[in-house]
Amino acid sequence: MATPAIEFSGVTKIYQRRFSRSPVPALSGISFAVSQGEVCAFLGPNGAGKTTSMSILMGFIYADQGESRVFGYAPGDVRAKERIGFLPENFAFYRYLNAEKLLRFHLRLSGRRTDDPNGLIAGLLQKVKLDEHRNLKIGKYSRGMVQRLGIAQALLGDPQLLVLDEPTSGLDPAGRKEVRDLILTLKAEGKTIFLSSHILSEVEQICDRVIIIDRGHLVRAGALQEMLAEGNRVEIVVDQLPEALEQAVKEMGASVEREANRVRISADTGQKRPLAEMFWAGGCDVLSLTPLKSSLEEMFLKLVGTGGSE
Amino acid sequence: MRIWTIALSTLGSFRRNKVIVLFCGLFICVVLLMMSPLMAYKAMTTAANAQQMQGFILNEVAGLMSLVSGFGSLLAAWAAADAVAGEMKSGTILAVMARPLRRWEFLAGKYLGVMMLMAIYVVAMLGVTFTLAWLGGQRFHTALWVLLVYPMVRYAVWAAVAMLLVTVLHPIIVIAIFGVLATLITIFGQSQSHIPSWVRVPVHLVLPITDLLSEERFLVITRASVKPFGWSNHLTALAYGLDYALVCFLLAVWVFHYRSLSRD
Repeated sequence: MATPAIEFSGVTKIYQRRFSRSPVPALSGISFAVSQGEVCAFLGPNGAGKTTSMSILMGFIYADQGESRVFGYAPGDVRAKERIGFLPENFAFYRYLNAEKLLRFHLRLSGRRTDDPNGLIAGLLQKVKLDEHRNLKIGKYSRGMVQRLGIAQALLGDPQLLVLDEPTSGLDPAGRKEVRDLILTLKAEGKTIFLSSHILSEVEQICDRVIIIDRGHLVRAGALQEMLAEGNRVEIVVDQLPEALEQAVKEMGASVEREANRVRISADTGQKRPLAEMFWAGGCDVLSLTPLKSSLEEMFLKLVGTGGSE
Repeated sequence: MRIWTIALSTLGSFRRNKVIVLFCGLFICVVLLMMSPLMAYKAMTTAANAQQMQGFILNEVAGLMSLVSGFGSLLAAWAAADAVAGEMKSGTILAVMARPLRRWEFLAGKYLGVMMLMAIYVVAMLGVTFTLAWLGGQRFHTALWVLLVYPMVRYAVWAAVAMLLVTVLHPIIVIAIFGVLATLITIFGQSQSHIPSWVRVPVHLVLPITDLLSEERFLVITRASVKPFGWSNHLTALAYGLDYALVCFLLAVWVFHYRSLSRD
């Protein structure tokens, strides 16, 4: 079995306030793993501990307890960092440099050997649509342009793992779509992507797995499709529904929505069979019976919106 | 290679550092102001007062050398403190440290960048001092390396101390501490001081003895020549300075290794 790209095992981080003795727990025994080649979303409300987790992963801060590994190495180990491309939240650059000079600086730091560094940089700038602004000082860039440049620098070392903290923040809808497409291309190339985002509809489109944390606790982790299919409701569409049957359906906890020439009934999955049999027996024609998939947003709000963690 | 990349980037960033540019601008103004009395002395020199005027001119050059030395120490401390703190404040450190770069390499690159700045400063100020002496009709009969190496080692000590302090403190506090340190060094450096030896000796052991690293020790400025001084004495003094700088730098590396990296 291949070494997981990311492994967190019982990671705890407690911050100490500067002028107070009261500790602030940021992470409480978080455990999860991300396999190589996966696109994994790391979700949670503000203050959940996402950035702290990412900082531990990058070796910027140290966990108080537990163990974390990146490709089997300790976070901050040069061998691990050689395989990572990182986009921090609110990426900051040397504002006096232009995009080309900044990428050249990061290329030298990445240690990546290439015969044509200029070609590589030009290609990356083209990929993130900044080739026309390559000589403009970064201080004059818009928020979206800075974010795109951040993505370019994350890709610079040809990393196996991309850690992206809010990659689409500050981008317009077209820019967001470009980043989504870029992530899907990278996924097809076999890269592992670990990203945090608040735009759950996007996460739904690009991710294989989801890890949800709230107030430092792991709330849920698993395959996205499995999670979404767990919506325990079913929709039955019938051609007509007599009043007597409607009453019985409602007593079974189902909801009824009448349309021009059909009636939609939404009920728990457990009621699927008795309801279908009741409709057949009552002379109703069942036009369709479809399991209802909940959206990631619905699931997320269910888990953390009302305080998913203890 | 990575250390060199960080060093060059650090040196480049100093050109855009408003505080450093402002300090350098003020310093140039002071030097230019010092030139006017020098030129006046020169113009007023006659056969009758040549001896007296020469004394004035040499005092002027000696004053300039002290100014260069003091300003250089401040510049080294501020540049070292700001080189690290600036990256933390702006958040650029996160992108840099995400690269396959060890923390000590980052600090070493920053330190090298500061020392490159100080090398430019030392060479430039040496040029200014020589020019002013020449304008005053004097010549330095001295080994050039003494005037280059000693200030560099002295600035290496200040830069390392600043780098150590800034790993845990705000750069403004670091500069304030430098003010206190400079005062303490002056007080405790005086052998005639009335402070009891049980206080003076331990403090003297901890604080850098920058007087030992002053090139002025070897210059008889009134004659603008060099005192005879053996190689072993030079080596001991320079080794002391380098050792002090190394210890401070290693302590800075140790503290920096364990601290959290985040946007301040």
